[in-house]
Amino acid sequence: MEAIAMEQIILNIALWFGLYTIVSLSLNIEYGFAGIPNFGRALAVLMGAFTVGGIMNRILMFFFGIQGGALTEATGQLASNVNGIIASNPAFGIGLIFLAVVLSMIVGAVTGALFILPSAKLSEDYLAITLLAISEVAFMVFYYHTGIIGGYYGVSVPDVFAFIPGQYRSHAFAVLALFFAAVVYIFVERLLNSPYGRLLRAMRENESVVEAMGKSVMILRIKTAAIGSSIAAIAGALFSLYSVNVIATSFSRVEWTFYPFLMVLLGGAGNNRGVVVGTFTFVLVKIMLTMYKYEIKSALMLPFEAVWLEYILFGLLMYFVLLYRPEGLIKERPIFTAPIKKVVAKIKHEVA
Amino acid sequence: MDVIFDPEITKNIIEGSLIYSNLLVLLSIGLTITYITTAVPNFAQGSFAIFGSYIALTMLRLFGIHPYTSLPIAFIFGGLLGIAAYIFILRPLISRGASVVILMIATLAFDLILLGIIGSYSDTLATITRKSASKFTFIPTDFTILSFSASLFVSSLVIILILASLVTLLYKTKFGIALRASMENPALAEVMGVNVEHTRIFSWFLSGALAAMAGCLLPFKYEVVPSTGAIIIVSIFASSIVGGLSTIYGALLGGYIIGFSETSVTYGLSTIFGSGILLYGRVVSLLVLVATLILAPKGLTGVKWRRLLWSK
Repeated sequence: MEAIAMEQIILNIALWFGLYTIVSLSLNIEYGFAGIPNFGRALAVLMGAFTVGGIMNRILMFFFGIQGGALTEATGQLASNVNGIIASNPAFGIGLIFLAVVLSMIVGAVTGALFILPSAKLSEDYLAITLLAISEVAFMVFYYHTGIIGGYYGVSVPDVFAFIPGQYRSHAFAVLALFFAAVVYIFVERLLNSPYGRLLRAMRENESVVEAMGKSVMILRIKTAAIGSSIAAIAGALFSLYSVNVIATSFSRVEWTFYPFLMVLLGGAGNNRGVVVGTFTFVLVKIMLTMYKYEIKSALMLPFEAVWLEYILFGLLMYFVLLYRPEGLIKERPIFTAPIKKVVAKIKHEVA
Repeated sequence: MDVIFDPEITKNIIEGSLIYSNLLVLLSIGLTITYITTAVPNFAQGSFAIFGSYIALTMLRLFGIHPYTSLPIAFIFGGLLGIAAYIFILRPLISRGASVVILMIATLAFDLILLGIIGSYSDTLATITRKSASKFTFIPTDFTILSFSASLFVSSLVIILILASLVTLLYKTKFGIALRASMENPALAEVMGVNVEHTRIFSWFLSGALAAMAGCLLPFKYEVVPSTGAIIIVSIFASSIVGGLSTIYGALLGGYIIGFSETSVTYGLSTIFGSGILLYGRVVSLLVLVATLILAPKGLTGVKWRRLLWSK
């Protein structure tokens, strides 16, 4: 009994570590490197979920000839049909995963580029406000409008791992999330260790210098938001595939904008390794809090839900990180490109 | 679809728009004044209002005090909350030279802490009074004066009182001159012997106090839940930015523009596109916000109208 519970906790940590690593790395590109305060990160994740629940579902419904009725019922019927096919044909399920990821990256990139457009020329504070406003309003529309992803009823999504026995389903999704997190990590690390990455850091430090060098800050911001959002959308798609349903309320600002910011700042903005460490620390604490929330509630004799305590705790944690460790657990390191290394070696040689 | 002109409905819509706009003005004046003195947009402004709503609810449930009577209490406690936000959250960071983005994230963190406190308080209040406090309105306690709801008169009265005392304070007193000086040029004001710190603390007091009063009146119009602040923040920012974040008049102008576009304009659109659109009032205010950012990023009060007229 104990062992099974322990296994579940570890799987939960692995899954959320994978999902949140994808989102916080995407935020690190935008905030940590480019200095874009994207207070609307949740929108990109929601778009990933929309891709699975709203676009992929409709493509499948078209192919399987399911029409009419409310979206909630139609997708429910679709899910049971498709699950049967996946159970006998694993390749179809794997194909769906890749379809979902590729589509969500495209949708994420387009939304990212579009949603930063009105504010791409503005200063940081206006930028943050506008991104937050767009994200909140989109969240509301997706929640109230029943024609997009079922609104407050939500929609069902086929189980892409229907061919795997039920007790190993969480294992499969944990591995899947970690796999994509690793791919994203390698990609982001390579992307930012390039002239483009150094340009982003230059923009963060001083926009005027970048403008003077003949680069357009606006274009750079749009590009970066597109890349960041397309990565964050993967997490939304994977989460929807895991939870086999999509409902807008799962993509709140606290969970997908504030927490990613906390992970990035805790680990160290502008430093991918730090962000991964920050994410792991955060996920560990969060899963423990969720697992033991009833124990905490009864032990402290709280007359309220433990989730409120979680908000207070993480709010305070963010504040203390900002106050006492603004550089995060692992500090951003200076850039060592080949020419700089050569110069450093030369200086060392001359000193010696 | 036939558009039927019904005076009764029109009256109700305009009445609702006016009340809502009055509340938005209170909230966005607070947001603008702290933005001017501290240069940080306060993302917790919405939760400041909900804090006020819960003060009024507590007074009503525990002591049977009518929400209109608790307005002064909300003013004081809201003001103290504003001061707390500045002294405990922002000032330590400012003294360490934190950037605007860090300060914004700090107000987001404070918003989350406040949400946690309000949520846990609402559960606690519910256990004490044995009546759910996680969703409430004051509409049943409202009364009518000359066939208009009292909240229209009360909110208008609050606006008039606040504006009159603000104008008196800013233009007739020495502290007001110091306040205006430190808003326009903090460094110069400091050289001239003005204690900029005092003006900042005052602005945060005022911001919290106005927000809490708006929060006291908000449940007369909408159902309030602990996380309502996270939703209304969009409208508050829209009002402040549309009017212009650099002057208090901007908040006044923007509050009425956004208030009316969210209610009256949305209602007007619903007679064309069907009633489903009524849910999406905030989409309209977002569109107004985006249009402002593209056409006049400094807001309506930032546009040099005279020059614009001359250039034609």
